[in-house]
Amino acid sequence: MVAPTSTVYTPQELAGKPVALDYGNGTAYAGLQMLEGAMPRAAITTCAAATSPAERFAGLMRGDFEATVLQEPWITVAEKAGCRLVSTTFFHGTWVAAPGVSAEAYAALLRALRRAVRRINADKRRYVGYFIRDWSTHSEVTSLAPDDFNLGRIQLKEPGPIPEDEARWAWDWMASWGLLHGAFDATAQIDRRLEQQAHELAVI
Amino acid sequence: MAMTLTIERVMAFMGLDVLVARDEGLFEAEGLDLRIVALAPDEMRSAAEGTPDKPATNQGKLMARGDAEMFQA
Repeated sequence: MVAPTSTVYTPQELAGKPVALDYGNGTAYAGLQMLEGAMPRAAITTCAAATSPAERFAGLMRGDFEATVLQEPWITVAEKAGCRLVSTTFFHGTWVAAPGVSAEAYAALLRALRRAVRRINADKRRYVGYFIRDWSTHSEVTSLAPDDFNLGRIQLKEPGPIPEDEARWAWDWMASWGLLHGAFDATAQIDRRLEQQAHELAVI
Repeated sequence: MAMTLTIERVMAFMGLDVLVARDEGLFEAEGLDLRIVALAPDEMRSAAEGTPDKPATNQGKLMARGDAEMFQA
């Protein structure tokens, strides 16, 4: 997102301009991928930003950087303040399990999440209050009403096994930025036996 | 006896389904005692301390030391 006074309207126009990223978080990787889709890597210019989107929004409004990545409810907060989206993307969170997790417990988690996703998708407006509740000490957020949210940005998918292609692409992309080293090895990264058992038990 | 599972804290941004399932008793209905644990504030590192190739992240810290069994990355 860019500040209200920014002259940037497209991601390409961020070439050579500082984009604040919360390195190490999914939002930062999503930000890098959006920039990469618009310009050569050499033109991508980033700076370190806080983990908290509240701090990144504050930095954006102060003019500390040209753009930053935000997630809900801070996109809605920023839009109300006159900021503009110049690029949008989505990503899944991936569950990482310790070796001792049983297929039965994992499946119980997945079944409950699947039911929750169905409830949320059936009535997103009913549940956007959760985004406000997370930031109950921030007046910019608590002043939001459920009707302020763009429901098209609230996207949930029922949990499923990670496709091997997607895992490999993610690994290779991170390795290309020097964040991972070595070749992707699906058998070392994913316990397919546990994953398959859990997802088979999680069918509802 | 209920199964137990401890996960690292999630927020609505990536874990709305978890929060709704917890509040609406969906884990309980599955016989799962889901526990959500969070890092102490003084253990949290800001991403601002990191660099592109050496990021500072809090995800997975509790699982790494055995205080959680799952986390969302």
